[in-house]
Amino acid sequence: MIDNAFIESVIRVLFAVVIITAAYIISTRNLITLVSAYAFQSLTLVCMALALYFHEGTPVLLAIAFITFISKVLIIPYFITNIQERIRIKRDIEFHFLSPTTSLLLSMAVILFIYLALSNILTGTAARDSLFFFGAVIGISLMLMGMMVTFSRKRAITKVLGYLSMENGVLLFGMFVTELPFIIEFLIVIDLIILVMLTTILSVGLDSTLEEYHDRLHRFHLVEDTEDGS
Amino acid sequence: MSLSFIFYLVINTLVVLAIAPLFVSIIKKVKAWTQGRRGPSLFQTYFNLAKLVKKETIYSAHSSWIMRITPIVSIAAILVAALFVPLVFVPEPVGGIGNIILLLYLLALAKFFMAVAGLDAGSSFGGMGSSREMSISAIIEPTTIIVFAALAFVFKTLNVFAMFTASVASGTASTPTLILLAISLFIILIVETSRIPVDNPETHLELTMIHEGMILEQSGPNLALMELSSAVKLTLLMALLINLIVPFGLSTTLTLGALVVAIVLFVLKGTILAGIIGLFESSMAKMRFFRLPSLFIMAFFFSTLIIIIEVFI
Repeated sequence: MIDNAFIESVIRVLFAVVIITAAYIISTRNLITLVSAYAFQSLTLVCMALALYFHEGTPVLLAIAFITFISKVLIIPYFITNIQERIRIKRDIEFHFLSPTTSLLLSMAVILFIYLALSNILTGTAARDSLFFFGAVIGISLMLMGMMVTFSRKRAITKVLGYLSMENGVLLFGMFVTELPFIIEFLIVIDLIILVMLTTILSVGLDSTLEEYHDRLHRFHLVEDTEDGS
Repeated sequence: MSLSFIFYLVINTLVVLAIAPLFVSIIKKVKAWTQGRRGPSLFQTYFNLAKLVKKETIYSAHSSWIMRITPIVSIAAILVAALFVPLVFVPEPVGGIGNIILLLYLLALAKFFMAVAGLDAGSSFGGMGSSREMSISAIIEPTTIIVFAALAFVFKTLNVFAMFTASVASGTASTPTLILLAISLFIILIVETSRIPVDNPETHLELTMIHEGMILEQSGPNLALMELSSAVKLTLLMALLINLIVPFGLSTTLTLGALVVAIVLFVLKGTILAGIIGLFESSMAKMRFFRLPSLFIMAFFFSTLIIIIEVFI
């Protein structure tokens, strides 16, 4: 069996990678690398689930790793790349409320806040000093950072990516802190796939902002080649 | 001061002077390859420097003594700063030498004189370059300080040599914080050496130049000194990144065999890093001036995160 200390250090490195991808998703303006960053983040979670499996030996983790790999590394990025090819936009430079710089500064504060809050809650319990505490902090931070992406971006397609990265945070938190029942994780994944498929179908409006999208829905009744007509 | 420390001073200066132009050439070569050109020879930077040394120095009639001392101050400050970063051999720190804050200030001193010299000749290009350089410095400086503070937190010391000793002793980049640190240091490297998202080192267009604008009035041996000092600065920041993150091969004993191995390994690792810099530069366009903070904030974010992790967790 592999050494436990080695696995812990691998997991710590993966935490760093998750944070890097989250920061990248918040601040990049290039949509193509945004999707790759999301796929990479999911792949990191897969590796983390595998590492945890070697650490703990719960077979559910293997199943989670498998499902995450199929859905979030292969299917969802494939759909989104498809959308991008159709709507022909390459970058998202409009932001609501927060610029990327401010978002990053805020997420720093968020991480610190969550750390302090969680350490107050968990003081005295066995969980306080373990890897799982760190996992919880990173998981919730990732969730909130995804939320920040969702409300600071203007384009619908980046909002979806923010939502997806938020779900990655939930998964991370679930993997480390609670015994998330496998069925729920499975349902979440199905939800996500349906969400992404819906956005694929609705991609006629995804190159615009949500407000414009409503106009288009009224004007074009969801016909596919309406892009040049706007 | 021990004998080995004196040896260290000599070896480090010689190695950095010998290698610096090579790394500049490698970056140019990689960029040329990605653009489908053959690119200049790997020794071209040496030839350029040799050519410049043979030429005559011409001063503008409006320039003052600032113009005359700037190249010397610049190369002196950068070479002293280079002594803080062991390239191939880590000595025992002697008498408190090696404070990391002094390293920062030496770099700032060179930068300050370069900016003043840009203004000195009274050409509008130089002034523009200086003004831009100082604006960028004003926002990158807090980030640089935070990154170096993070370094100090990770290695629990302010002494650069102690950092390198600890790094060599641990062998590999074992903690995840070092990954974050590598990204921060890489961004600092890009910004401090005026590389592409910030400044284009190859252009002489008015709109884009920052670093080149400031040394536009320099000529002959003075220009050679300025170019050499910017090459040495690149090498020293690269060495800081390489030898802290992947320290294997760095020698701690003063034997000939270990030194040769260390030099070969350093050139190899440096070549890889230079290749990465070249690819990074080729992969992106120069950023708009007011978007630069979003690049710096990445470095700031990661190093603050390191500090949070190191202090609390």
